[in-house]
Amino acid sequence: MSSHETLAHAAPLRAAGPARAAARLLASETALTFRRPRHLALLAVLAVVPVLIGVAVRIASTDGDAGPIIARVAGNGLVLAFTSLSAMLPLILPLAVSVVAGDAVAGEASQGTLRYLLTAPAGRGRLLALKYANVLVFCLAACALVVVSALVAGLALFPTGPVTLLSGTTVPFAEGLLRVGLAVLYAAAGMAALGALALMFSTLTENPIGAIAASVVLVVVSQVLAVFPQLSALRPFLLTSWWSAFDGVLRAPMDTGRMGTGLLVFAGYAAVSGAFAWARFTSRDVTS
Amino acid sequence: MNRATKAGPSGEAAPPHPDDHGTVYGPGARAERAAAGDTGHAIATAGLTKRFRGGHVAVDDLHLAVPRGSVFGFLGPNGSGKTTTIRMLLGLVTPTSGRCSVLGEPMPDGVSRALPRVGALVEGPAFYPYLSGEANLRRLDAADPRSDPRTAARRIGEALDRVGLGNAAGKRYRAYSLGMRHRLAIAATLLGPRELLVLDEPTNGLDPQGTREVRALIKEVAADGTTVFVSSHLLSEVEQMCTHVGVMRTGRLVAQGPIAELHAGVAVSVRVETPEAGAAAAVLAGFGLTAVSHAGGMATAELGDTPPERICAALVEDGVAVRGFAVVRPSLEDVYVRLTGEGFDVES
Amino acid sequence: MRSGTRAVRWGVPVAAVAVVAGVVAAGPVIAAVQGEPSLPRRTAAELLADAAEKWQSGRLPQMSGTIVETASLGLPALPAAGGATSPLGLLSGSHQAKVWYGGPDRLRLMVPDEMNESDLVVNGDQVWWWDSAANTATRVKGAPDGAGRPDAVPYAKTVTPAQAAEEALRAAGTDTEIAISEDATVAGRAAYQVVLTPKEAGSLVKEVRLAIDGETLVPLRVQLYAKGTAEPAFEVGFDSVTFTPPAAENFAFTPPPGAKVEETTAPSIARGPHGKDGKDGMDGVDGHDGAAPRVVGDGWDRVVVVSLPKGFEGDLAGAADRAKGARDGDGVASLANGMVKVATPVSGEWGSGRLIRTKLVTALLTDDGRMFAGAVTPEVLYAAAAAK
Repeated sequence: MSSHETLAHAAPLRAAGPARAAARLLASETALTFRRPRHLALLAVLAVVPVLIGVAVRIASTDGDAGPIIARVAGNGLVLAFTSLSAMLPLILPLAVSVVAGDAVAGEASQGTLRYLLTAPAGRGRLLALKYANVLVFCLAACALVVVSALVAGLALFPTGPVTLLSGTTVPFAEGLLRVGLAVLYAAAGMAALGALALMFSTLTENPIGAIAASVVLVVVSQVLAVFPQLSALRPFLLTSWWSAFDGVLRAPMDTGRMGTGLLVFAGYAAVSGAFAWARFTSRDVTS
Repeated sequence: MNRATKAGPSGEAAPPHPDDHGTVYGPGARAERAAAGDTGHAIATAGLTKRFRGGHVAVDDLHLAVPRGSVFGFLGPNGSGKTTTIRMLLGLVTPTSGRCSVLGEPMPDGVSRALPRVGALVEGPAFYPYLSGEANLRRLDAADPRSDPRTAARRIGEALDRVGLGNAAGKRYRAYSLGMRHRLAIAATLLGPRELLVLDEPTNGLDPQGTREVRALIKEVAADGTTVFVSSHLLSEVEQMCTHVGVMRTGRLVAQGPIAELHAGVAVSVRVETPEAGAAAAVLAGFGLTAVSHAGGMATAELGDTPPERICAALVEDGVAVRGFAVVRPSLEDVYVRLTGEGFDVES
Repeated sequence: MRSGTRAVRWGVPVAAVAVVAGVVAAGPVIAAVQGEPSLPRRTAAELLADAAEKWQSGRLPQMSGTIVETASLGLPALPAAGGATSPLGLLSGSHQAKVWYGGPDRLRLMVPDEMNESDLVVNGDQVWWWDSAANTATRVKGAPDGAGRPDAVPYAKTVTPAQAAEEALRAAGTDTEIAISEDATVAGRAAYQVVLTPKEAGSLVKEVRLAIDGETLVPLRVQLYAKGTAEPAFEVGFDSVTFTPPAAENFAFTPPPGAKVEETTAPSIARGPHGKDGKDGMDGVDGHDGAAPRVVGDGWDRVVVVSLPKGFEGDLAGAADRAKGARDGDGVASLANGMVKVATPVSGEWGSGRLIRTKLVTALLTDDGRMFAGAVTPEVLYAAAAAK
């Protein structure tokens, strides 16, 4: 029978490429993510907000007596990248990441495509890992998009030159760019931790909106909790408290201690949610 | 070959059935065989049971044996546990107890070894609406770690051509008609060389034309030697294309075997049309026939081994005015209805 | 068997939680496993003498580290109390600062805030206060000779353990029992613990614990315990510390282009970053009609007496109204607002007024416009009020 021959010739291929096969499925995942109309709309928002901030600052700065933050951005286009990241990290970026990661498994389940992926067979653990890899790609892309859009708008609207850090130290423009890059990596790591949480929610339900909402509500609630001084003991354990620590790259010397702790917190959140997602997804009955 | 076996009334365990070699195994022996990877069967289950959370038992102690090379019709009314069984066979649902093996691999642990050789259509088509038919198949192909990306384009093209979607390959799935969606789902099962196709209600919702096409396609695939396991709630469909049949009722397998033998287990009866029904009934009883009854110009009884011509002669001899005499063989539909119960009630 | 594998499966996330919890708890656990460090025995007198000699000689080792200040005074909640750099903000919650100490005339103290930062940089005769939120660099002029010494900078005085320790020891007199407690681990270093216990019954302070690094004799932590509480009401100490010379860049400050550059004289910086204009900040009080604060009593029972400015007289609710107009909720008005809300009316032979009690501090606002405050029981305040 022909199938036996196929298996025989498939054997060396199998040895050659679990990694290549995984890369192929990951490429399929990212293509799906970045081709989906809803996600494209999200990315468009992510790209437009920094431009709007830039334009608003530009208008405000011509008014004369502008605040120090506006003056800082208006003084150097590069600062817009940090300001945009700072403005979008509390809600807009987490929202985008929640939509993509919360939909990852629950969306496939509600659409019915999950059962076909699993009978392909994609392999449950493998599929989950690649879904998360795709979330990582999206987190990095989303943060990079915000910053690139801010840089383009910033360079177009404002002068450039050496960058003044929060500590009052001035560094060359190129080093400023490098620091922007580090900020993007840190912010993406923070988003990836949220992505792991949202992915976990996604394995718990067949309703993608439910998973997305759970993730967004968690973000909002933990930021609200952080406001109460009485609950300050809780703050170091909240994921959201650590996102803003990307501003460590703007200090001299760079605040690697706090950012390092932040990365540890992100890793902890990702490990725990990832483990729960794995246990749930590899044992659950797929009945959709 | 298996003899058709009828299970007792629901609630009792199904009696062990004789296997290919005429040997009767106890449930334990069968379970061992299934666990060991029964290579004679494309699908084998032993005591397969699924109890969902909430206590609903969807599948109850299922002993299924699907011979390689057969076209196996998996019959049963809606809600009788067919789809849950198929989900267990494909590793989507974990059985509560019992074993099952597909192509010799125990499931669900052997999913990665067995399923590349299995094409499956479960509970209707499901695809990404914003992707074209071709892109949808490419994604499914990418999901299989053992498929060869170099031949993907060719295999996808062939599968699409085979179901007649060659011209609609670039169209978005959203724009497909119901029939086209079904065909795309079948194309997905044909992406690689398969040893087994598992098709869950492949003609559900199709027009007669589409149904005919699917049926022809199944016969074609089966002719290549691929085992086809097809579930349906329509008897006529199964009758037309299957070599074997298994009948489900409320989560239990009430009969399975070659389609020709399903009849064998059911009694043939004799029917006499006469104005003197009482007298005719007495004659039938005189032959020692069982289930004798008479009413309104009609007497019936189960024929058993008695030659009908002798009954006919005896009736005439006794002076019963015979207006009509018939030996009634039940249709497969009668058998099915008797096995699964009357009416449209979905039993749970 | 299947339920077995399922249990194993769920064991993975449980293990993940355990590992993360383990990492979180690692510090305390390791400390518990190691037990208390044991340093060579010294009597309180020896230790304090050695330490005092070291501190006064100005030969403190160069170091850098992170200081954490935690206050749970049981004050009324002060939401949005002006962030980490506001003096009032320090009265509740936990705050972090970084310090680099490169010798008697080289110090940098950095208070980070989200996307902002305040820095105090002392380098020889140059003293700068940088506030990134206001984009303002303030040069502190006319600093006295000892400008370089950290304790010459009042802002630092409230924050560095060295100064807090010195303050505590200065307060200790015959009315204090000084003892050496078991050794402690602070910022990963073995430290002596000096316990100062007030003898006066009227004090709300149970004890002050001072942790002194066993090797360098640098104070690493000061904890203030109120009576009847197990957790310190106020604590300032190193979270991490290294005794290596900090990089020279830390002490080099040049106002960045585009920043406002201001000049001020030394004392005004004591008002903190928002106190520059003298209109708000704690010291704003003496900018009003009221008399300067004075201190009555001695030892732990010391009471601060302030004659309140006119607006406070009689009508405390009026003060609350005014507070609503105060910006950012910082400054005295906000504090008064918060206080008035939780104050209980009291009266006695001394007159009548309102009393605010916290774990550590009691304050009395009399209806004739005086305020008494101290880490003492209300009775001590009543006595002070009666004494006029």
